[in-house]
Amino acid sequence: MIVLGIETATVQVGCAVGGVEGVLAEFHAARGRRHAETLVPAIQFVCQEASIELREVSAVAVDIGPGLFTGLRVGIATAKALAQALRVPMIGLSSLDLLAFAVRYTGRTVVAAIDARRGEVYAATYRPVPGGLQRVSDYQLWKPRDLVLELVALGTECLVVGDGVLRHRALFDGDSRITVGTVGYAYPSASALVELAHPRAIREEFVQPSELTPLYLRQADAEMAWRKRREGMGAPAGWTGSVGGRRNGGDGDGGVAVAEGGG
Amino acid sequence: MITARTKSPDDTRELAGAMAGLARAGDVVLLAGELGAGKTVFAQGFGRALGIEEPITSPSFTLVRIYPGRVRLVHADVYRLDHLQEVVDLALPELVDEGAVAVVEWGDVAAPALPADYLEVRLEWSEAEDERRVSVGAVGPAWSARQGALAAALGRWGRDAGP
Repeated sequence: MIVLGIETATVQVGCAVGGVEGVLAEFHAARGRRHAETLVPAIQFVCQEASIELREVSAVAVDIGPGLFTGLRVGIATAKALAQALRVPMIGLSSLDLLAFAVRYTGRTVVAAIDARRGEVYAATYRPVPGGLQRVSDYQLWKPRDLVLELVALGTECLVVGDGVLRHRALFDGDSRITVGTVGYAYPSASALVELAHPRAIREEFVQPSELTPLYLRQADAEMAWRKRREGMGAPAGWTGSVGGRRNGGDGDGGVAVAEGGG
Repeated sequence: MITARTKSPDDTRELAGAMAGLARAGDVVLLAGELGAGKTVFAQGFGRALGIEEPITSPSFTLVRIYPGRVRLVHADVYRLDHLQEVVDLALPELVDEGAVAVVEWGDVAAPALPADYLEVRLEWSEAEDERRVSVGAVGPAWSARQGALAAALGRWGRDAGP
């Protein structure tokens, strides 16, 4: 049972293949943001180096976030396309679980934090249990300062890993019970993804490509206020008709856009 | 709120260029105004002043286009979107966080899904066909701090300045 793992939740892009023998080949690049250009050649590369034909892949595992939207959509779209083309099922795992997995033998409380930009981080808390870690919080969006207060309030030794904590490092360095993980633990790894996904694949804990959705923690549950806007705006009489007709025509809108460009 | 008046599409481009002179990486500019009000024209003038040589066209079909310049320009158009989550999915804050300025057409409709830190530029018809009323308002700290500089930059288009 060969699993292909795709990981694009941060500025790093990665992929790995593995099976019962463990991870057979992996690739990571953390410089630049060219996830779309890098990912598919990287998948070819790891398969080639591990002497695996794509048709031998039995499941595609993918990091579903939380993380950078611009990265996640490349990874998830690629993973879905591959799974559909190969007619294999998928396994979705969280970026924060992958980060925590890398430090599962620490014996301390672990907090995984990914840079969400705009001065926020995505984070989750894990506590040590026999054999590893167990997640004890939801995946949440935090102001780093509030997350530090939460950790101080926990009152236990904790290890904080991920590019989210490195970006706001000064805030986390203040308390002696908080240890900040080094850059080696900044990004989720594609091999951790394959390692975690393989037992799930054996147990057939799959999702179908159509069911797999990214874990976006920034939500906006509302329709856009086009109607309200139209009623509220005072465009010249000749123009209200075309605004009102916005939803009607696919091709017609294109003509309007050209007219707009002309001023 | 600063109000100004432009006489032609080229004049709107120049005004946009004057505003672009104050823009820096991380900024978001939301363009409001009906079809034909000159939002894309504004984006063109803004982009040219950022040192973008490529022609800037309406991004309606691609939703977002990114142009390299002195500062990268993220030119977005949310006209075809129906749900605010689709605006969130465009990840505009992520894109500007990496050293770009975002100019969003129909941005006033997208505002509820964006961080409350932007400049809103509203373009409206005036009496004469090519004339436009331009109102500029800062929301949040980034542009509020530059309001004096903005007013100075737009002085020559001021409401009372005669043709």
